Order: sequence, then C-alpha cells, then structure tokens
Amino acid sequence: MPMYGDLGNKLVIHAKRTQGLAHLPPYQTELVRAVTREVRDLNRDVESLLEPFQGSFDPTQDHATACTLLVNHLSMRRNKRCLLAYHRTRTDKLEEMVWNGVDVADLAGPQAGGGRGNGPGGAADGGSSSGSNLSPQEEDYVRQYSDLLAAYKGQWTDIDLTGSLEPPRDLFIDVRVLKDAGEIQTEYGAINLTKNSQFYVRQGDVERLIQQGYLQKLG
Amino acid sequence: MSYYDIDAILTDAEKIPCTFQLDIPDLGYLDNAPDRPLKAGTKVNLPFWLAEMLAIANAGDVDGKQYITFDLPPALSNDVVQALKADPRSVPLRDQSAHFYALATRMMELSDEPELASVLRKTFVTRASEIALHARKVGGVGHSKGKGSEEGSNLGIGGAGEEFLRGLDEWERKLFRKAHDGAKATKEWMETIKRH
Repeated sequence: MPMYGDLGNKLVIHAKRTQGLAHLPPYQTELVRAVTREVRDLNRDVESLLEPFQGSFDPTQDHATACTLLVNHLSMRRNKRCLLAYHRTRTDKLEEMVWNGVDVADLAGPQAGGGRGNGPGGAADGGSSSGSNLSPQEEDYVRQYSDLLAAYKGQWTDIDLTGSLEPPRDLFIDVRVLKDAGEIQTEYGAINLTKNSQFYVRQGDVERLIQQGYLQKLG
Repeated sequence: MSYYDIDAILTDAEKIPCTFQLDIPDLGYLDNAPDRPLKAGTKVNLPFWLAEMLAIANAGDVDGKQYITFDLPPALSNDVVQALKADPRSVPLRDQSAHFYALATRMMELSDEPELASVLRKTFVTRASEIALHARKVGGVGHSKGKGSEEGSNLGIGGAGEEFLRGLDEWERKLFRKAHDGAKATKEWMETIKRH
C-alpha cells in the first residue's frame, strides 16, 4: 500500500543516482507533478479537517485530529524537502557543467559529455533519447547562469577563470579537429578549423575549443 | 547534515517499528486499512521522518501521553548488535541498512542507547582499518614494485575482500573511495616526481 512520501522518496533515489553520473538524466516531469499533487491533496485534507472548527481548533481537546493534522503536515514537509533536494541536485550538476565549459546546446542531448565522471557508473543512462533532458525551467536556469558566469569572467581579460588548472608542459601542441569550428584568430594569423584537419597551435589559443570537444589534443 | 543532503533524506526514509497510543479515526491507511480507524496499540512501521515528530510531540495532555512509542529498527536489533560484538568485520552492514550508521545516529538522537553507541564505535574503528587496507590493495596501489598500469578504480574488484566490501554501508563506501583515491593520487604524484 503506497504511503504519503513514497513518491518523494522515488525522486530522491533519482537524485542519488544522478550524483554518480557524468551527465544529467532526464527530468522526472511526471514524478515531480505527482508529488506536488500529493501536497495539494494533503493540504485539502487539512482544510477539510479544520473546517468544522471555524478557526478555533484546540489540539488538547481533540488528540486524534491533532495527530492526523500533524501527520499530514509532516508528509507535506517531507515532500517539500524531497522536491527541493531533487532540484538542487540537478542545478548543482548544471552549474558544474557550466563551469566545465559544456556547451549549453549540448546539454539538451542525452549524452552531454563534459563533466569529469567521478564515482561509479558513469555509463550511459537508460533514459529516452528524444528531446531535452532538462525541464524548460532548467534550460532557462542554465542560460542565465552561463550569462552570469560570462559577465563575472569578463572582468578579467588576461585570466581565464574556467581555464585548465593543469600547468601546460608545452606552449605549442598538436591538435586534431573533431568538429568544424570555423575560423579562429591567433597571434599568428587566422586558422580555419575544418573537420579532420591537424594543426600545431598555441595551447592557450585553443584550450576552450578542446574543453568544448571541438578539438582533440594529440600526443 | 544539510537539508538538501540526499543521503540524509534517504536515511530518514528508513522504517521504524512504532506503536500508536491513541485511537485515531483518520489514520487507518497507515495500517493498510483506510476504512477502519487506527486503534491504540496498533503496531505500524513508519518512516523515520514521520516517527520522529510523532514520538517527540506529546498529545498536549496533562499526563503527557505520546502519540506513539517506538522500538529500535531490525537493523539495530539485539541479534545484529551481538553479531557486531562477536566480529564487526563479518557483518554485512549494507544488508541491514544502506545507511546503517546514519540510521543508528538518528535513533540515538531519539533515545539514549549507551551500549549500542559503544558497540558501533568499536565496529566502525575495526572496520575502518579493514577498509583502509582494502582501499590500498584494489587497483594495485600497494608497495609492489610493478609499474602497475592497471587503473582499477571501481569498487569491489575481485579478491578475498569482495564480500566484505559489498557489505559496506554508504558512509563506509565514501570512506573506501576517499582512501582509494588518496592512495592512487599519491602513487601518481610519486611517479611524476621521479620523472623530473
């Protein structure tokens, strides 16, 4: 027999699994909706329980009702916590991805590479591959967070806050182009990055493109 | 423990055996019988998040009667405690509860269990050193002279300790992972030092 809070728990189990994944699994629209519905139902119960008392309910006079109200209240509070924690886990992950330079458009896909997969089971997820894994609100969140980060980073022109923390061993590196990335300007003139071509370039010029998966570092 | 802590939330979902002390007409559903009132004396397994507040809140009576009384969950039953006393390493804590220590800590916030506390303390210390031992072994990090290019970073790779590692609770797993990553990072660092 299902109990109040069971659905919320499912949501948290999803969140737990999400923590161990490198990408973001699909947003549980249905589950979130079901949990919110449960809260609304509980609230309606509370209102109908309290109605006969006309605002003068005294818990010491009616233990049974007081206890029922308490159970309802606790169930709502529990659901709220589950909902918030689920969403927070996802936004944490999204923020991390933005910092790691994952392309926002890529996040819409089921396999958003990027984030260094730590922990067990970074394997592919069984979620549906159609459409975005993010809720519309989450997409909005990512977009605005990226803007914020860009504005923040913009204050320093000669430091890349999201750059690699590994000190480079060589100034110049060999790269192979994995995806067409158009023309980029470097100190030594323009380079046209077409797929499958190979270049010897200054690491600093292409770091972002490597992070975003356009280029692959060789050697 | 944070409000948003996923493991804390899952810990609070663990069921606790409770006994209702009052007749409550509307809560029959807690005992699988939505149409009948819940009678005083009914035993129900309630999740911790519900049981905790029901146990703390008293019915506001003069005699301070509680809504429910509760017992320790099966995971912390006498059988388990006796087994832990005999040999902490031979008990797969995970089979009792994935959040074994967290659950025990939560229970002890509600009721004073000095004996349980001391058994668990000893259990953790004994098992922690065992965990550290395994964490160094997995992935060939030990003191072996081999270059050890195999980078086994997953939990429970072969070996005699597999059974033990499978029985770790969440907290211990984290400990294992930290110890393992630490040993691995040290090894990597040592190798780069040598190269220069």
